[in-house]
This record gives sequence, C-alpha cells and structure tokens, in this order.
Amino acid sequence: MRSLPSLTSVLSVLSLGLFSLPTLADQSETFRFTAIPDEDESRLVERFSRVADYLSETLDVDVEYVPVKSYGAAVTAFRNDQVQLAWFGGLSGVQARRLVPGSQALAQGVEDAAFESYFIAHSSTGLEAAEQLPDEIEGKTFTFGAKTSTSGRLMPEHYLRERFDAAPEELFSRVGFSGDHSRTIALVEAGTYELGAVNFKVWDAALENGDVDTDKVSVIWSTPNYPDYQWTLRGDADEAFGEGFTDRVRQALLEMEDPELLASFPRSGFIPADNSMYAPIETVAESLGLLR
Amino acid sequence: MSTAQATRPGLLAGDGIGARLARHSLWLVVLAALAIPLADLEVLSRDPWAELGRMAMGLALPDFTAIETPLQAIGLTIAVAFWGTLAGVVLGLPLALVYARSRLVRAASAAVRAVHELFWALLFLQVFGLSALTALAALAIPYAGIFAKVYAEILEQTPQAPQTALPEGTGRLARLAYTELPQAFAQLAAYTRYRFECALRSSVLLGFVGLPTLGYQLESAFREGRYFEAGALLWVFYLLIATLPWWAHRRLLLPLGLASVWLLGPWPEVDPGLLWRFVSEDIWPRALLEGDIGGVVTWLAELPDLVGTVANTLLLGLLGTVGALLLALVLWPLASRHFGNRVSLRIGQGLLIFLRSTPELMLAFVFLLLLGPSLLPAWLALALHNGALIAFLVCRHAQAIELGMPGLPASGRLAYELLPRLYPGMLALVYYRAEVILRESALLGMLGVATLGDNIDDAFQTLMFDVAFALLVITALLNIAVDALARRLRPCEPPMEDPCLR
Repeated sequence: MRSLPSLTSVLSVLSLGLFSLPTLADQSETFRFTAIPDEDESRLVERFSRVADYLSETLDVDVEYVPVKSYGAAVTAFRNDQVQLAWFGGLSGVQARRLVPGSQALAQGVEDAAFESYFIAHSSTGLEAAEQLPDEIEGKTFTFGAKTSTSGRLMPEHYLRERFDAAPEELFSRVGFSGDHSRTIALVEAGTYELGAVNFKVWDAALENGDVDTDKVSVIWSTPNYPDYQWTLRGDADEAFGEGFTDRVRQALLEMEDPELLASFPRSGFIPADNSMYAPIETVAESLGLLR
Repeated sequence: MSTAQATRPGLLAGDGIGARLARHSLWLVVLAALAIPLADLEVLSRDPWAELGRMAMGLALPDFTAIETPLQAIGLTIAVAFWGTLAGVVLGLPLALVYARSRLVRAASAAVRAVHELFWALLFLQVFGLSALTALAALAIPYAGIFAKVYAEILEQTPQAPQTALPEGTGRLARLAYTELPQAFAQLAAYTRYRFECALRSSVLLGFVGLPTLGYQLESAFREGRYFEAGALLWVFYLLIATLPWWAHRRLLLPLGLASVWLLGPWPEVDPGLLWRFVSEDIWPRALLEGDIGGVVTWLAELPDLVGTVANTLLLGLLGTVGALLLALVLWPLASRHFGNRVSLRIGQGLLIFLRSTPELMLAFVFLLLLGPSLLPAWLALALHNGALIAFLVCRHAQAIELGMPGLPASGRLAYELLPRLYPGMLALVYYRAEVILRESALLGMLGVATLGDNIDDAFQTLMFDVAFALLVITALLNIAVDALARRLRPCEPPMEDPCLR
C-alpha cells in the first residue's frame, strides 16, 4: 500500500526537479493533517489513516494523520506547522486563521453550510418545543458542551444573549460545561442539568442509535443556521509543496466521495468554503471574549 | 506559666504530643465546619440511575477487545512514568542538597509543584507539540520540586553523628556520599518507588490532553459514554497498579525502563524559534510588550474575578483536605493486616486501589450525576481519592508495626496501639496532600466550580496564554504561601520513620 504513493511521489519529484530545483527537497516533506470528529472518537487513527491514504494517492505526497484531543491542541499544531491542514470547528478555524495569516478555509461539510444547535430540556421542566426560547428557562440549571465548541457553546450563548439580553450566568441558576455533546445529552437526560445546548448532528445520531430516552429529554428549540466545521490549509502550503498545491488539496477534498471516508467526519460530502463565510462566527466570538 | 498549670489534666488539655495533635486536628475540622456554609453544597438530583447503571455495567462487563493497541498504550504509560520519575530525581536531588539553606530553591520548588502536571503539559505542548518530550517535561519539572523537598527532609533526619566524624572542610557531595546516602538510601528508594506509582497515575492523566497513554482512550471513551471500553481501560490500569510490586521489582525496573525507551519516539525537532516566541511573546500581555501602561491596566481589569476564584480554590482545598483526613481514618483499617480476615483484607486493598487509581475527574462525574452540580461532587471526589491514597500509605506504615499488647479487641488495638503511632505521620501526610488537593481542584471545572484552575483551563482553550501564565503565577504564589503555612503548622517533633508518610 505504502510503496505505491512513494513511488509516484519520487517520480513527480524527479519531473518537478527538472524545472525547479529548490522545491526538490521540499517535495519529500510529509503533508500532515488533523481532524476531530464532532462525535465518536473511537479508533481515530485507524479511520483517519484511510483518509490519509486517499489524500496521499490524490496529491502524490506522503500524508500523515496526527491525532489530537482538543481543538486547542489542533490550533497549536496548525500554528506551529506541525500540521498543515486541519478539520476545524467554526471557532477553532477562526482562531487558527488569525494565528497563521494567509491560511484559507477550503471546504466545509454539506451539513456545515446550515448548522444548528438544539436546546434540550429534561421532562421535569415541562417545557415543549416552541418557536422561541420560553421565558420559563430563567432560573433553571443549564449546561453547555465544551468551552470552545461552536455548536455547544458559542452560538447557543449568542442566541441566549440575543433573546434575553443577559449573560448565561445571570439567566440560569447554574451554568456548567459538560465538555462534550454526548455528555450534555447524558447529563440532561439524568436531570443533573435541566437544560443543555447540543450539536444537532450529534443529537440526531444519538436518537437514531437509540441512545436517548425521549421520555426524559427532548428538543425545545433549535437555533437559526450558522456555518460550522471546515477544512483549513496553511497559507504557505504552495511554498512547501509546490505551485498549485492549495487548489489540488481543495479539489481532493471536494472529490472525496467514498462513504466510508466521509463517515469518519461524519459528513455526506464536502462543498467549497472561504474565510468570509465565517465572519459571523468571528464577530460573535469577539463579543463573547473568546477571541481577540 | 508554671509547670503545674501546663500539665493540668482535662479534656484535650496538656502538652503531650497526643493532646496537641488532637487539638490541632479538631481545629482543622472546626475550621472546615465553619467554612461549610460558604460552600455551595445543594443537592439537585433527578434520575441518574440509568446512566450510573450503564457505567456499572461497563465496569462489570469490560470489553477488552475495544482497546486500540493496548500493549503500546500500556508500554508508553510505563515509559513516560519511568523516565519522567528518573528525570525528576536527576533534577531534584541536587536541589535537595541546598534546600534547607536556600529560600530561593524552596520557593522555586513550591512554585513548580503548584502547577498541575496537565498544565505543564499544556505549556510544553505549545513548543514541543504532542510528543514524549512534552510528557517527560510535564512530569520531570513538578517532580523535581517534590523530590527536592522530600529528599531534603529525609536527609535532614539522618542521624548527625557520622557527619561530626568527617574532617573539617568536607564538601557537600562527599558528605552526601559518605554519611547521608548510606543511612538514608532505603528511605530515599522507598519514596522514589512511591513517586513512581504517582507517576503512573500522572502518565495516564497526560492522555487527557492527547499524549497516547492509557488515558487517551480512557478519556474519550468515558466522555462519549462508551463505558464497556472505558471499563476495560480502567481494569487494565487497576491491574497495573495492583501488580506493581511484582513487575516493578527493583531488578526488573532498569531493563524495563531501557526497553521502553523506543516507545517514547519519534522525538520532535525542537524549533528554537517556537520556544523563543512562546517565552518572549505569547505569555506576556501585548500591551506590556508595547509599553502601553493604560493597556496593561485594561488587561488586568479583564482578568477573571480573582477574589472569588482564589476563595473557591482555598475553600475546596480546605474541605478536601479535612475530608481526606476523615476518610483516611475510616478507610485504612479496612486494608490493614491488623484487622479483619484474609477476605476482608483483599476487599479493603481492592477498594483502596479502586479509589486511588480512578482519575478524580471520573469520580467527580459519578457524583455530579448523583448529586447535581455544586461544590459537593468535587469535594467528595477529592476527599475520596486523596483519603484512599493516605489510607494506603498509612497501611504500609502500619504493616511494620508489631503489636505489643496481645489480646486487645480490634477497637483497643486501633485506639491504644496503632493510632497513637500512626497519627502523627498521617497528619503530616495530610498537610502534604493539602498542596496536591489544591492543585487537583484545578481539574474539576466541568462541575461549574469556578476555581483558579478552571480559569487557567479557559485561558488555554481560548489560546490566551498571557492570561493562563498570569493565573499560573498566582497559583504558584498561593502555593508558596500554603507551603510556608503548612511548614509552620506541621507537627514535626515525632521522627517520621516511613519516608512515604510525606
């Protein structure tokens, strides 16, 4: 498996070398990427190594997947050039592009163009699905997901502030950070927190798998749409991997159609994206003090 | 001030060491009791049983096949612990030699100890990436501070007679080699072994930030509710700790360590540019670097509420410490050979392994489900984990005690034979753990408890390293103060025979 891409990369290095000697050394560099899926982090290396193989074949360079645990670590690796490409959440992507000038959002998931968060509630609250968040949520207990999650914290907090004109700490009797969408569901189902905000895809998947007791927890409101996850590439990728590399990476991502590969993210496909699409995320993050 | 007055009999009166320690402990308990009204301990629970049932099933029916590359994860966990401890010894021993003389060394040691291994890891991550170098540095640096302090205390307590026999002008190293090391070697080795067990726990914990030790999978499996996988990983870790006396035999340890070196690679290329950027720019507020005084004031004003978080941290530290003391008093007899039969002994030892090896974060999550969000789950998790650890060490101490009054009932053995001998060491240990508890309170932010550590975690996640660094400095200063206070309060008259009781 591994010998084939390296053979083709040797050939391409040789052919390129005829024209531009300086890129010769650079071409032998390994192209590294990282990705954190929004659900199911089991067997990450195994799953994403297949994505690495696909990219390696399509791009004619050695590609390696670097597993990370948190968006913070992903952004740091991207900033330090330990990875050149990353599958970021909305906020982490904005953080990364600020720290590495010239880097670009290349593609987003089909689902990410119109992402949503669900507000969920324990049955004891008596709350039901409504067009807008009811006034009764005041004074209840509430949990976000991870602190820098776009769908688990940033946008839910934004819409809460917009609706009630108050910080979550003023609005609710207790505010927690569960650290993860699955955990937000578990905590609200157990009634530990009466309300929570969760990534809509994670909720839908948990519902489909039968992991949710819908007698105990249900969706009471869904946020308006916002852009979320995206692929971001460093601005110096062309320098390091050759002229036109950025376009080729974008093309490879957009053409990734194997359902098995896409299931790792999990997305149904990738569509073009650019930095400007994430301007709303940037504005919200700044106003919440999560970005400067 | 006559002697008659000082020795006047009465409840808890008198100058004896026992009465003084009893008064001392009671004050501590009273202080904690007075602090309780300040703490948010409301119980808010609805139906946690379905989730708790799933966790119990996961622990009862672990799925060992779900573990990804188990041997590599175990190997790396051991390798990081071994080399991290060794590096800590190499850095800490020289510091121990000047510890008593140098206030600077004492303060620096307290400062590096104050910062949790996970935060050291997050700092080094910025420069070395996710590599073994990050893991080793994150263990070695705080451990150097710990070794400096504990080794210094052990060396201080070696009998002084041989030293007076040395010719005048003998150097510090010669003194160490010819008089202190031969006398204290067994104690130093015993403490280092105990630290190695702590290092295994830390090594697992480092997985939580992404280094591929056992904790890497454990954290995601537990977080995402894959309890059969999490259960399997926990069992692997419990077995690792339970079998420590066999596989970490002193003859096996060195070959094991050498064999595990290759697991640590690949070593990262250290980019001096990254390091320089981090220490010269990232950790300082931008306004300060630009010499904008007004900007620095704004920056200070935007720091999270310090008074509240420091108060919460100290409150949790105090409650956790007293809780650990009380729990240790209850727990240690369960695992001691002086009580019960062989079956109860095994169960007691198993319970202590379970409590001290389960990461606090997981204990806290169980209590969060049971009791709802407040300070209570954090308190219980800290008290149980540290109480079990103290109980384990007290048991080891009790192991060596031969009872002198045969035929006493269990309560008599406890009250008249064992406790009087064990309690001074136990209290000293509790004072030492207070520092650890303070440091660990950092990890329990998910409970919505606003501690200093929670704010540091916030700052790291939002990549505001200047804020993180400022808060870390405050944490370090707090620890230097607590350390100095504990040094003054700690009962130090009774010679502590077991170095691990520190």
